[in-house]
Amino acid sequence: MVQFHEHIIGDLLEDPSGGLVILSAGLGLPKLISSLLLLHDPSQGSVLILNASPSQKNSIEITSQISSSSAAASITADLAVNHRLSLYTSGGIFFITARILIVDLLAQRLPITSVAGIILLNAHSISDTSTEAFIVRILRSSNRSLYVRAFSDRPHAMVSGFAKAERTLKCLFLRKLHLWPRFQVYVSQDLERDPPQVIDIRVPMSPHMIRIQKAVIEVMDACLKEMRKSNKVDVEDLTVENGLFKSFDEIVRRQLDPIWHTLGKRTKQLVSDLKTLRKLLDYLARYDAVTYLKYLDSVRASESFRSVWIFAESSYKVFEYAKKRVYHFGLSNIEKSVGLSKTASIRKRKLDESNKGGDDSSASANSSLVLEEILEEPPKWKVLREILVEIQEERQKQAMAGEELIVEGEDNQNGNILVACKDECSCMQLQDCITKGQRKVMREEWEKYLTSKVELQALPKSKQKKTKAPKGFGILDGITPSVSGQKSEVTSIGKQENDALLAAAYEISKQAKKDTVVKEVVTSEGRGKGRRNETKKKKSNIGKTNPQPETSIQSETPSKHEDEIIDHNAPESEHLGKRVLRKHDPGPENTSQLPSVYFHALESDQSILDILQPSVIIVYHPDMAFVREIEIYKSENPSKKVKVYFLFYEDSTEVQKFEASIRRENGAFESLIRQKSLMTISVGQSYPVPAHLAPFVMLDIHRLTLNCLDEQFLGESSFLDPQSVTAQNLITRKAGGKKVAEKEMQVIVDMREFMSSLPNMLHQKGMRIIPVTLEIGDYILSPLICVERKSIQDLFGSFSSGRLYHQVEMMSRYYRIPVLLIEFSQDKSFSFQSANEISDDVTPHNIISKLSLLVLHFPRLRIVWSRSLHATAEIFATLKANQDEPDEAKAIRVGVPSEDGIIENDVRAENYNTSAVEFLRRLPGVTDSNYRSIMDGCKSLAELALLPIEKLAELMGGQKAAKTLREFLDAKYPTLL
Amino acid sequence: TSAAGTGSRNSILVSHRQKGNPLLKHIRNVRWAFADVICDYVLGQNACALYLSLRYHLLHPDYLYFRIRELQKNFKLRVVLCHVDVEDVVKPLLEVTKTALLHDCTLLCGWSLEECGRYLETIKVYENKPADLIQGQMDMDYLSRLNHALTALRHVNKTDVVTLGSTFGSLSHIMDASMEDLARCPGIGERKVKRLYDTFHEPFKRAV
Repeated sequence: MVQFHEHIIGDLLEDPSGGLVILSAGLGLPKLISSLLLLHDPSQGSVLILNASPSQKNSIEITSQISSSSAAASITADLAVNHRLSLYTSGGIFFITARILIVDLLAQRLPITSVAGIILLNAHSISDTSTEAFIVRILRSSNRSLYVRAFSDRPHAMVSGFAKAERTLKCLFLRKLHLWPRFQVYVSQDLERDPPQVIDIRVPMSPHMIRIQKAVIEVMDACLKEMRKSNKVDVEDLTVENGLFKSFDEIVRRQLDPIWHTLGKRTKQLVSDLKTLRKLLDYLARYDAVTYLKYLDSVRASESFRSVWIFAESSYKVFEYAKKRVYHFGLSNIEKSVGLSKTASIRKRKLDESNKGGDDSSASANSSLVLEEILEEPPKWKVLREILVEIQEERQKQAMAGEELIVEGEDNQNGNILVACKDECSCMQLQDCITKGQRKVMREEWEKYLTSKVELQALPKSKQKKTKAPKGFGILDGITPSVSGQKSEVTSIGKQENDALLAAAYEISKQAKKDTVVKEVVTSEGRGKGRRNETKKKKSNIGKTNPQPETSIQSETPSKHEDEIIDHNAPESEHLGKRVLRKHDPGPENTSQLPSVYFHALESDQSILDILQPSVIIVYHPDMAFVREIEIYKSENPSKKVKVYFLFYEDSTEVQKFEASIRRENGAFESLIRQKSLMTISVGQSYPVPAHLAPFVMLDIHRLTLNCLDEQFLGESSFLDPQSVTAQNLITRKAGGKKVAEKEMQVIVDMREFMSSLPNMLHQKGMRIIPVTLEIGDYILSPLICVERKSIQDLFGSFSSGRLYHQVEMMSRYYRIPVLLIEFSQDKSFSFQSANEISDDVTPHNIISKLSLLVLHFPRLRIVWSRSLHATAEIFATLKANQDEPDEAKAIRVGVPSEDGIIENDVRAENYNTSAVEFLRRLPGVTDSNYRSIMDGCKSLAELALLPIEKLAELMGGQKAAKTLREFLDAKYPTLL
Repeated sequence: TSAAGTGSRNSILVSHRQKGNPLLKHIRNVRWAFADVICDYVLGQNACALYLSLRYHLLHPDYLYFRIRELQKNFKLRVVLCHVDVEDVVKPLLEVTKTALLHDCTLLCGWSLEECGRYLETIKVYENKPADLIQGQMDMDYLSRLNHALTALRHVNKTDVVTLGSTFGSLSHIMDASMEDLARCPGIGERKVKRLYDTFHEPFKRAV
């Protein structure tokens, strides 16, 4: 354990009610949680871990399994109710989702006193309306001794919005805020005592990359300037530096959301353009030239014609240079010589190959035209190889010198080498680079690029080609004419260029056919090797199957035998586990001078360092959190020699982004420290009163603050007293001041609705929430009133999918007062559209038209327009005022298809792969009446993809529907060209 | 008169009470004529509407109730067309909602006179229109349908659809793709890969 973790835990335990801990990214939050869990004593009750992301859950499970006997388990909806109950009372540690927990709490399945405390991760995502806050409120109201320990390692997310940290504390009923930035004394002492050896390598970008980067930034800048002109956004935030981060979109959206409807199309387009541009910058450093070009093609094909940036002068350069990194297409001899000299200046080594390729294709294409392959390699590839060679040489030298020194039991010779990339895609590619060589990889990417075009082109030949070619010109070279002005000539060039590309592709596919026999042998061999080398290093697997494999992996040289053993041990179904890590053993024939290397995708968010214990880490894509992880790793293993290489592109946005992320985090902490010093948190902070008293608290709250200041202080001083004076006071106040409510109001709520905050609001209003699974409607207010709730976004979506029509139809069939609740969001504008968006005549796709059509077809449908969640809660209370309470048992039965013989009492939503069902229902030929039988007769979408038409006809109850679906599934995707 | 009679079938009948309502300027796509009618607007054989400005409602909170009481029962669709023309909407809108709901009226809200006018026009124009527009039956081209299906998955955007389509060639190949192949697509990160893969490979019905 790192020392500062002890400090954090010490501080946190001081307050028995808990606290909120915010620490820098990468400072080992999962380990911190595991250490905290070690202190748990089952006799105190259960600990529930809320809001953990899958990767956090995984790392906590791994670390806690190693160190303690009381491993954390998960409570999922798959467990039967009884089983869940026994787990709740077992005193163990459990991961649980907020949705399951709130339902169990409301259904009173969970004895509240059996909970010792809550550990809440990702506290930055909490607001007073979120389900987590709801849970804490319910738990706290009847279990005073419960603790809530909340954590976040995203400080910048804790400063978004006004007094976010303070509001988070309030809604969790916490008083203590603990801040642990990287620059905190204990932290920096710990981490800088014996830092790893760092080698910072600045790789110059290729001239074309620099030009692309410059061009993208220019466009970005232009877009930002344009945004500033709109005068809608705070100018201070509009910097290119901010634009590099994902959170920039949020900044802009937050400012624009309230006035979103008043914005013109242009401003909206700018917002989405900036997002695209950010990705283009990011991918420039990440992808190779061919993949980048492919991505650009995709972007261009999908971008709407409205897009502002695509027509900017500089974006023309982006496309042009991106193309130049891959191939050169020119006219005849003069052009060719120019092209040649260019190639030479860029990369001499490639000369002969690009020549060869050029000759091949030029022969097949028009005689005067030349398609030269340039296939520029990412400069980092070469550097990576050089580093690996250097490491290997060093190791060989050491071995030669007989220095097989056993440095404290560690075999330096065989220390693992880890290469960390951003994504899985890069990992695979780099692995290929090392096994096959860079040139080969580029070549393969190029062939893939071409064949993906040609395969799709290979439809009916003559006609298709004629119509496609000019269209292809429009997409691929759309900007050229406006720039050059020589339209006709360029048109022909663009067309010829496409033809040449296609010709080259045909060439490749022909070659491929010829070589099939040879190639098949090669690839199958290669693949077999690759598969064997994919070790499954997911600790949980290994831990289960093999008592102490960890040491064996670390101490021995990773050999192929070892890999095989692990492979056999791990269950095959673990797809993700397989992808966590890929290891490469250099084949003897290939690159004997290179050491074996592990690859790790940062995106996968696994705690790789402890498992692998590398002695050399090459950070291929720099990432702040990962740097901290290395620091922690080093300080936990002080005896281990760790060498870290950073690979930055010099003067790139990659560096800029890395540095900015550190600045940004420090800034966030400074602001949090300021906020903390000004916080008035302990005043007015008290435990929630039991639910049925809540409305009275709301009514009386301002009177309390005005008149009963002394009472409140009393309440505060008895903060930890279970018989809180505040609550007592309120009870007496209630008795004197107001008539006791005749009866507790009840609302039946569909399980799925617990994703929203409305149940929370209703509960705050003092209603009893009964969670059930409803076939029809979201909320049942009375035996007559059934409500389907739609947020604005849902409303538009479910109109176009037809779902809303169906839902309203069902509601009207079973309830006397079917209600469509249209719920606007508090922080967005209260309207559908701005006046200038209303067209001159009645158009079928306008929301007004759809709503009008809906009310015409369902004249009994009542529409409720709600400004916000709060307003909805009030409306519900009003509508219920003169109605009977709804009947739970009845509500559940309504609309359940009885002819299927299914009587559903269980959590339906949990039993379906909902996104697959939604996807299925959107396929042509699939209807409301046949989708259920498709799901009965076919396990998954992957299986559906392979079903023959006869079987489909059987399932779908008709040849026609089956044919529609089958044709859609097999339709060739039209080409980009 | 007979002329008025034939004309009335295709036009909105407007109560004389509505004289001077600036809303009338915005009824442009449908003919309208003043007539002796009890409701404010007759939008067809079965549909009528009352117009209410929230600002007016704040001054005369009982107005709506009395107007609704006057309405005959022979309209199937009785619309209360509410013009949201005040800043602080929550309380007055709650009152209007309650009154409309308890007295069998459908509440529609417009934020501008244009929008209110458009509701009246649309209901008249669509008087006999079938519902297929909102039943989700689309006879659209291949690409839109593909987009529609794939973007059902959260965070999958149009660029991803193009990438997937051009990489795998057909939807059935996308649905059957391995995790590794999905991960090789530019712009499709770890989480998207997992979401795609799970959607396609997890069974529709989870084992209980």
